[in-house]
Amino acid sequence: MKKNILKGCLIHILAFVSFLGWHSNADAATKRNQKTVVSTTRKQSPANSKIYTATKSTLQRSQLANALGLMKSGQYPQAANSFLSLSRRSDLASERSQIKYYLGLCMMEMSLNQAAAFQFVDVIKSSDKRWTRQAIEKLLIVTDRLGDETLLNYAIQRIDVNQVPTQYRDMLYFRLAEIKHKAGLFTEAVNLYNKVGSQSRFYYSALYGKGLAQAEGKQPDLALASFKQLLDMRSSARVTDVNKVAAQLSIARTYYQKQNWEKAIEAYSAIPRDSFMWHEALFEKTWAMLRAARFRSTLSNFQTLHSTFYEDAYIPETLLLRSIVYLYICKYDEMEKVVDLFDTQYGPISKKINAYLNQNHSSENYFQEVNKAFIVKKDAESNKSFSIPYNAIKHIAEEGDVRRTYSYLKKLNEERKLVDENPNLRATPMGVYASGIITNRLKSARSIIGEMVKAHLLNMRVELKDLNEQASFIRYEMINGKKETLKKRINGKTMAEETDSENQDRAFYIKNGYEYYPFQGEYWLDEVGNYHYLGKQSCE
Amino acid sequence: MQKTEVFVVKKVLKIVLAASLFLSSSIGIAEENIDVPKDELVQETVYPVFDNPVSVKNRNVQDSHAIDVGIFGGLALTEPISNTTKMGVAFNYHLNYTHSVGLVWAKNSSGLSKDAQGIKEQFGLDYGRAPAPDYAVLVDYNYKAYYGKLSLTSNGVINTTIYGSFAGGMIKYVHKSYPMLAVGIGERFYFTKSLSLKMDLRLYAHQAPIPFKAGALCDGSKATCGGGGQTTPGRDPVPSYDSFEERLTYTTNLEFGMNYLF
Repeated sequence: MKKNILKGCLIHILAFVSFLGWHSNADAATKRNQKTVVSTTRKQSPANSKIYTATKSTLQRSQLANALGLMKSGQYPQAANSFLSLSRRSDLASERSQIKYYLGLCMMEMSLNQAAAFQFVDVIKSSDKRWTRQAIEKLLIVTDRLGDETLLNYAIQRIDVNQVPTQYRDMLYFRLAEIKHKAGLFTEAVNLYNKVGSQSRFYYSALYGKGLAQAEGKQPDLALASFKQLLDMRSSARVTDVNKVAAQLSIARTYYQKQNWEKAIEAYSAIPRDSFMWHEALFEKTWAMLRAARFRSTLSNFQTLHSTFYEDAYIPETLLLRSIVYLYICKYDEMEKVVDLFDTQYGPISKKINAYLNQNHSSENYFQEVNKAFIVKKDAESNKSFSIPYNAIKHIAEEGDVRRTYSYLKKLNEERKLVDENPNLRATPMGVYASGIITNRLKSARSIIGEMVKAHLLNMRVELKDLNEQASFIRYEMINGKKETLKKRINGKTMAEETDSENQDRAFYIKNGYEYYPFQGEYWLDEVGNYHYLGKQSCE
Repeated sequence: MQKTEVFVVKKVLKIVLAASLFLSSSIGIAEENIDVPKDELVQETVYPVFDNPVSVKNRNVQDSHAIDVGIFGGLALTEPISNTTKMGVAFNYHLNYTHSVGLVWAKNSSGLSKDAQGIKEQFGLDYGRAPAPDYAVLVDYNYKAYYGKLSLTSNGVINTTIYGSFAGGMIKYVHKSYPMLAVGIGERFYFTKSLSLKMDLRLYAHQAPIPFKAGALCDGSKATCGGGGQTTPGRDPVPSYDSFEERLTYTTNLEFGMNYLF
């Protein structure tokens, strides 16, 4: 080991000397350096980069040295232009990998991550072993910044973890774990998540991912332990801390998975109201309440979920669920209203989705629809007309795959803006080259998002069709229930319908700072989640 | 009639609780316990997060692009001489949920204030000789800063709006008209979606005759009124309205009215 270090130092000294102009030693140094570069794990930054060249031409050598000098002095656009020009020269074909690598480094420094990624991919494809490892390492970094999963996977599949600098290993383990996780290899994913160090910025995500993999691998107790560990570690964080809330939500979901409804309800109730995950928690808590046969509580939550605050939400099954609860408590009139509401709300949505899907729209059309949804989500005042119903397209815009790719698209747009808004860069060959790459990627990303939207819409169509059939069954049950009630009434077995609201002398009882008042059709932001159904069952 | 089966249970501020307790005891409604499981009661006073949050949806009082008319009675709290009461009609057009413009016509009652009447009886000073306000016409702008609701007994909910008012117009005295400006705050309490009780507190500013004029107010009922030089002891010659000096006058008015929203 010591021997290798000494050898490495010696070769670097020799390389430095050769760079300064000791041409006679350059060849030998480069040859030896080929080995060293592959084996070293030292971080290569633009400031300590060197040119290792086999060329004997003084002119070529000096051109390379000039470009490197520009990079070292922080003149990245000029350096990038020089490297780009050199990379196109046939007489420097043998140095192309090196030149491309440095071109990529310059682009990274200029925050042109996508353009840089392509340089590193070119280097990897060239199979030039002198530069492959560094290129993979850098590709890993830029793709992580971009969130470009395709290129990230490309890089990860070619990397030897042991050769990656320590500071990037956690990220690599995390990304590898994610890949295994997505592939359904939960045990391997857990092992890789475990390797992410506690000092890493990926640690909490890894802990969360680990719990998720354990839960998906049907190990709910282990999953609970992982989520609780994450929750404990984030105990001092602010109430709405994403990791903290996500851990709490996952605890609730794991209890649900274990069919421990009461514990699940308790865990869902601990989600803070001012977290964006609260809505999801409320929806899932409603299911837990239904499973726990807490019908009154279920109806209370529906009052929130079906309030006008959720008028743009796509939650068709909640309406059917509500009607089923009314069926359980023999509230047939209410049940009919809710099933009618399902037909009124989701019938047209289903028709419009069908019509849109049958019109053979291009990916770009689908992308345009979801793009409008993202704009409206940000700015409700922006007037956009949708071909796909807003509820549906908004729901699709919130899907994980669409969100991730859209976020990548935003980064590409930022990159293009960076080129377009810099006149010194835009007109240069480098600017034109980078702009070309980004434009192509933008087009491709839009197309991918479009395809995703189409796939989600197809799923929605199937789902709505299925729910529509269920609605028909529910109607049948409702008519049957009404018929049975009438029969009983004819036979004289009537029971006076009672509700708490019949007591017009309803007073308020203040306990622990709570007060109640009747709901009169108006929905207030501070009341969302505080509605309580106080009716009673009407079964005879 | 549809029965109310959904209630809102909320943690409220202590001050509201205190007010509610007082009212509950004063109206003597029997107490009743509502059992809602603890895990369903709100633990926090923060709001849920929405993409484009708004305070209220499906509001009961739809006063955007709506007209309301009303009648009101008022009291000039700081008026020393003239009769302090007035009555009027108001017409408003609500441009949206925040702004409204309207016209107000207010007729002042004739006669003197109680204080001025007392002075007349005790000292023989007749301020009725001074010019008094007759009526006022104002263009009124309201900025509705707050829309909320109150529940005092848990049996019902009253919606309310609090607004700032800015008005400009003319006030007509018996002999002359003056431009007038007014600023104030007001509140409406909606008993139904249309019918509301309106309260306004306004500060009026306008040029007005000064009623305190030496040698002009003694009506002869008290011989000791006034100084020397009177042809009849205690009786000043009746002055012309134009002889009174003028100055910028501020009056605070409290007005109550009933309005109907169409």
